[in-house]
Order: sequence, then structure tokens, then C-alpha cells
Amino acid sequence: MAERAKGGARLLVVVYAIFAIGATARSVVQLSTRFDEAPLAYGLSAIAAVVYIVAAFALARADRTSRRVARAALTFELAGVVIVGTASLLVADAFPRATVWSSFGSGYLFIPLALPIIGLWWLRRSSPANGT
Amino acid sequence: MTGLFANFTIIASLAMAAWALVHVIVNRPMSRALHSSQLVLAGLFLVLAAGGIVQLIGKQPQIPWAEFLGYLLLSPLIPIGSWWWTRGDNTRIGSAIIVVIGLVMPILVVRIQQVWAIGG
Repeated sequence: MAERAKGGARLLVVVYAIFAIGATARSVVQLSTRFDEAPLAYGLSAIAAVVYIVAAFALARADRTSRRVARAALTFELAGVVIVGTASLLVADAFPRATVWSSFGSGYLFIPLALPIIGLWWLRRSSPANGT
Repeated sequence: MTGLFANFTIIASLAMAAWALVHVIVNRPMSRALHSSQLVLAGLFLVLAAGGIVQLIGKQPQIPWAEFLGYLLLSPLIPIGSWWWTRGDNTRIGSAIIVVIGLVMPILVVRIQQVWAIGG
């Protein structure tokens, strides 16, 4: 059986899983019923949903490969929040509908911005190379 | 979907969160009752989902039904998933997870009510 996450990472997994479920459900509805209204925003929301799923599963497993996958997913997520967050403020017309990453996740109490930062910090802190 | 039962699910969720928070603060191992309360909460959300579907069929064809159904059907899965994830966890992290679940579920109920309200 695969090694499971321990300590605070278990809490992080739950938060990512909640975002994965919420973002995926919302994205499926958006893509299937009103994609034409805001293709860029809804497309980005779908990408965010996939990232949350990957991050949740990768963080839940604690082996070396999963940690690499988690690091890649969280880095992508952080870049996404910063780029999309900035673009949504500078080029607001391109985002007629909000994505989970719009305005740096302000619609979700900035949790989308905080999550990858906390996750990357935890991955670094709990790295076997750190002896923890 | 603004009935008393929806409000009851909110109160039950917050009560579970408060109970778990006490465990976190006093650093007590998660009790079996606290762990099982997640399944009780899942049961409440199953009832909420059933009631919501009945109301959807009966009255409100103009609401975004796919989104409404999605929220209703996925909501019981969250406490069931956390029950599975926290089984055998005797640390305060297990209780902290239940705090998070207890705070998230009311947000979900409010969201379900918002989607329902679109139908007028």
C-alpha cells in the first residue's frame, strides 16, 4: 500500500480535495452549458480544477514521485494565480466571468493564492533532504 | 431550498466544527463519536439532497438545475470522504480536518440556496 500523507499535510490534502470537488463540478457545468459566454475564463477554471485534482492526489501520497508531481502542480498553480490574477485586473474585458484565480482568488477569500504558498512551504519543510 | 432543514444542516455542521475545535484546543485524541459525527452530517446532506431534488422536480424549472444538482449530490461526499480520510487518526490534525469540514459545509448550503434563489 502506498505511503500516505502525515501531519499537517493531511489537512492540506482535505482543503485541496474540497477545491478539486468544487472547481470540477462548477467547471463541468460551465463548459457544458455556457462555454460560449466566457471561453477564456471557463477554460482557465477547468485547468484550475485539473490542477487541484492532481495536487490533492499527489499530496495525499507521500512517495518521492508524488512529491515531485505535487511540487510541479503547486508551482503551476501559484504561477496561474499570479498571472491570471494580474491579467484579470489589467485586462478585465478578457474575463467577462470570474475564474477561481481572478483577482488573486479574492472571491474565495484569497485561499487560491495562499494554498500553493503553504503547500510549497510544507513540501520544502518536510523534504527528506531537510532531515524532517 | 430555504427551509428549516437547510438551516438545521448549517447548525449541525457548525456544532460539529465547534466540537472538533475543542478537541484541537485541548489536544485530545479524536473520539469515536466525533469521527462518526461526519457520517451523521453526510446523512443530513443526503436528506437535503433528496428534498432538493423533489423540490426541483416540483417547482423550479428555471433554475440552473445542473449546477444545483451538482452541489446537492456532491455535498454528502465531502463528509464521507473526510470520515474515510480521518479514520484511525489520533492526532489533533484529524480533529482539525473535521473543523474545516464543519466550516465548509455551511458555505455549501448557502451556495445551494443562492443557486436556488436564481429561480426566484
